[in-house]
Amino acid sequence: MYAIEVEKLRKEFKSYSSRSGLAGAFRDLFTRNYKIIRAVDDISFTVKQGEMVGYIGENGAGKSTTIKMLTGILTPTSGRVVVNGMNPHKERERFVQTIGVVFGQRSQLWWDIAVQESFRLLKKVYRVSDQDYNEHMDHVIETLDIGPLLDKPVRKLSLGQRMRCELAAALIHNPPLLFLDEPTIGLDVLVKLKIRQFLKEINEKYNTTILLTTHDMTDIEALCERVIMLDEGKIIYDGSLQHLKQNWGEGKQIHFQFRDLVSKEELASLVHVTWEQGEDRYNWIAHVRANDMAHVIGKVVSSYELKDIHIREVSTEEIIRNIYEEGIHYG
Amino acid sequence: MFYVSIFFQYMSQYVKTKLQYRTDLFVEFLSDLMFQGVNLIFILVVFGHTQLLNGWTRDEIIFIYGFFLIPFALFASFFNIWDFNERYIVRGEMDRVLTRPVHSLFQIVLERMELESLLGGITGLVVMGYAASRLHMTFHWYDAVLFVLFVLGGTFVYAGIFISLASISFWSDARSSIMPMMYNIGNYGRYPVDIYNRIIRYILTWILPFAFVGVYPAAYFLRKTEWYTYSFLTPVMGMVCFTLSVLLWNAGIKRYRGAGN
Repeated sequence: MYAIEVEKLRKEFKSYSSRSGLAGAFRDLFTRNYKIIRAVDDISFTVKQGEMVGYIGENGAGKSTTIKMLTGILTPTSGRVVVNGMNPHKERERFVQTIGVVFGQRSQLWWDIAVQESFRLLKKVYRVSDQDYNEHMDHVIETLDIGPLLDKPVRKLSLGQRMRCELAAALIHNPPLLFLDEPTIGLDVLVKLKIRQFLKEINEKYNTTILLTTHDMTDIEALCERVIMLDEGKIIYDGSLQHLKQNWGEGKQIHFQFRDLVSKEELASLVHVTWEQGEDRYNWIAHVRANDMAHVIGKVVSSYELKDIHIREVSTEEIIRNIYEEGIHYG
Repeated sequence: MFYVSIFFQYMSQYVKTKLQYRTDLFVEFLSDLMFQGVNLIFILVVFGHTQLLNGWTRDEIIFIYGFFLIPFALFASFFNIWDFNERYIVRGEMDRVLTRPVHSLFQIVLERMELESLLGGITGLVVMGYAASRLHMTFHWYDAVLFVLFVLGGTFVYAGIFISLASISFWSDARSSIMPMMYNIGNYGRYPVDIYNRIIRYILTWILPFAFVGVYPAAYFLRKTEWYTYSFLTPVMGMVCFTLSVLLWNAGIKRYRGAGN
């Protein structure tokens, strides 16, 4: 039994373009130019119960549109969506009872009332019994460390405090499936860590399925074993993060700072690897495979005088950027 | 039953929020009261000179106005969603609404309620009382039942029209600029419709049935037998308008495009 099943899912939007000038505005009154934009283009995937999946892509790749179809907010143009065994937009009210949603850029809580009042209202909306609520939420409140915030109105909370409350609010009915749309946007490292820790915990404790979109690759690295990568509405990669890194991110960068000026040719004739210039001609970066590292360093050190040297791993961020810039090619 | 309990939950939260801003509450209360007062003076000035308007006396028109205020107050408290497009569609708040297990329109009604508008209903009762005493009107016990039915009918007529207008936002991204115009047209319903020409009367009865909010139901209490058919149609019109608007809304939800983020 899958938590999410998506088959050939497509969403098209009509996008109106306005003509320029006053005359154009008048013409727009009668006939409008529009083109059909395919935000999500026939994607298919499945997610098992208990999986944590990172859903990544550039802005406008179709991430939010997919999430909105999966949560029943938008009606798909075509294709099949089954989430928690239901059709999200057809049985919306029954369906949303089984999911939790956090939109990082939008608040679920009531602005003017105390956090606990918001919780109480949501508890009613989701028809959670007092016993379930206490049992479950005491733990959530404790782990997210939001006890002291409960009697403050949401508008007086900092972003980090608010996000933790949002997360708690999304879990009031203890849903088996959680959608997080950029939950860590704009948060500091400590809060991010706390949130990740918490997500891991509920995943282990309740076998909660989590689908996460984010621009922060460290979130994905910390949480998700599997990533689905989207580009222009199509899935361009679906598999383990490990695999992605091995195929596109293998290798290290060695940053040399020389005492004297050096040219690329000299370096290239010394060791046959890819050299890239740093800030100036004193700084050079070698792209090498992990196995060759010692060899390259040895050669350079024995031939030149160095001021500084450091080694960097290729970050997931860079891997993703490379894939978007160069397209995907298996190797 | 669930919806009733949710309704009271939201209402108690609403009151709590309002009480947090005490000065605001006071100013609002005062301005509402003044607004009602100005309206009343306007009516008295206009009808101070003409004692008869197409067969309606000054006091009868004041009575209609008083009656009109009651369904209007109920509408303004619960269905005043004129800013639906800006607030929910453009800003994307509809996303949040759609992720909760309660009917979306009901949630919006709950979130947008403005209980202080109920004050207008009290003004309405006072105005009606004043007119009734000057007209030496008599009432039967079942008039109370009919009164409630007619008030609800009128409220739902108003609600239906405004919900339908809000639903249009799902199809086009037109601004809510027609809303103020609708409030104006709505005001025509509180004068006797037979002072207008035939086309306007037809529109106010069958297209934008605002006449069912004021003059038609009030005509019953004024014992204008020639209008009784329309009076008793009021609850039916309310049901029809409201049902149609909810159907339109439900169809619109499927077209919701969300706001980009």
